[in-house]
Amino acid sequence: MQIQVKCSCGEGDCPEWAILELQGTVEAQPSFQNSLQNLQIGILCRQSQENYTFSVGYHELTGTKVKLKKPMLVLKKIKLQNEEEMGERDVNSLRVELDVIGIIRHKILFKTRPKALISKPQPAVKEKVTQPSSTVPN
Amino acid sequence: MDMEHRRLGSTGGAEAVLGLQPNSTMSIAYHSLFDSHNDITLLEIDEKLVPDILQQRVTIRGQPDEDAVLCTQSKTYALKFVGTSNSVFLIPPSDKAVEECNEKDDMTIPVASVIKVAPGSMELVEVAPKLDKLKFLLSQNPYSFVEASDMDISHEREKMNTGLYRWDDLADKVQASNEELRSGLQALLAVEIDGYWRVLDDKYMDMILNMLLHDVILNDWSFNALNEDEVLRALETDGFPCNIAMHCLKVYGNKVEEHIGGSCMWRLEERRVCVHFAREILKNGKMKMETFMAEWIRKVPDGMHASFDMLEGEVLTEKLGIETLVYYFSVSSLPSTPAERFNILFQERQKWEWKDLQPYVRDLRVPGLSSEAILLKYTRRTQPTVDAEPVFSAR
Ligand SMILES: [Zn+2]
Repeated sequence: MQIQVKCSCGEGDCPEWAILELQGTVEAQPSFQNSLQNLQIGILCRQSQENYTFSVGYHELTGTKVKLKKPMLVLKKIKLQNEEEMGERDVNSLRVELDVIGIIRHKILFKTRPKALISKPQPAVKEKVTQPSSTVPN
Repeated sequence: MDMEHRRLGSTGGAEAVLGLQPNSTMSIAYHSLFDSHNDITLLEIDEKLVPDILQQRVTIRGQPDEDAVLCTQSKTYALKFVGTSNSVFLIPPSDKAVEECNEKDDMTIPVASVIKVAPGSMELVEVAPKLDKLKFLLSQNPYSFVEASDMDISHEREKMNTGLYRWDDLADKVQASNEELRSGLQALLAVEIDGYWRVLDDKYMDMILNMLLHDVILNDWSFNALNEDEVLRALETDGFPCNIAMHCLKVYGNKVEEHIGGSCMWRLEERRVCVHFAREILKNGKMKMETFMAEWIRKVPDGMHASFDMLEGEVLTEKLGIETLVYYFSVSSLPSTPAERFNILFQERQKWEWKDLQPYVRDLRVPGLSSEAILLKYTRRTQPTVDAEPVFSAR
């Protein structure tokens, strides 16, 4: 079986994606866990030329923008299920393509342990620092 | 501001994140399509491969029961998944088709949306092409004299169609880049017949070569200056199709010069012709050295000289009392992966002297590993005395 790796973006025009990377996991409050769509994760702030902060819930992370040593491609699997084709040919003809929909060259990396912020309202999403305190009231 | 209930639109994108100016702020949110993208994966690649991929010269190859490999035009890479415990938020560029919603008047900062949290990424590790499978596939149905002379027997067709592979079938089934596949076919002396890649069976090859040598004598040609047109015409008269005759020239000869008086000239390679006859003689098993040499020299055409060192990597010898026996043991019939190769070599002989071993291992290639490193990994090297020949045994 062969899977063609394609880029439908046009010559040299594959858009750049971004990565925000932080240690550990981010956890939403239980009431939001099944409907994360559109929910705010945190606030990204570029404080100076070099320094970024990312505030998630009560916590603030500091980080920098880094260029990846090697670029990363964002691949999307596309199933080509042409029905007449499926009828004539065997199961092997269930064709799949991989579309390069983006390229990643930079990420904003937060390597530090989160620093607690004080007196902020209860957020919908928080950084999981130690224990997932699932008992936080809404 | 109650962040708890604030749900944001997903109009921002990667460019806003990467282009964020000093002393600016933006919001990062889950995309409205978050979590619905299990079909997205990340692939880390060398910068030099980016053009290959963007210009669609790369494929993923493998059967369902094989680990997939990625092939560029010239190389084969294993795909290795490397997981991460970090949270890797993937932010696509903004979707320009989606206009800003007008109800977002209260939002003073831009928003970028996370489409997926990536569990890790795929990495590429260069590997050797899986050409043993190519050898196996082609060996299923070698092209024979019977098939060549039976023009059209329809009830035979079905039987003959098993084990036949077109280029695309091979690319589907063999985990190798196009270039590696092409040189693999060349190394196996495969030829394209009616759209299928075939190896010719030994008997058929023997027939054509003998016919060619017969024609050389008959027409008083020189081994070093065979006129392609004349050779093809003669062999065709003898019943060998043009493509097969051409294949014979390629297997046993080399092109000398392009177009002398409008026709290509070929030279028959002494070593290849001699090795062919040695192989034919040893087909039935071990022989006493003297008997073998006498028969070999007799079989080799006049004007060519058989010498035992031509058979490096083709035959082995063993002592039996005062006799030396010779037998066929060709490197071309051995697996190309080092572990399997050494396994068979050490089954054949527990200890190998370097001069004997070398012809059987010099073609081994492992990306990122030198020949010395391969030897070190799969053999134990002993040297009884400082000036003695090193001896290799299994690890
Ligand atoms: Zn693209």
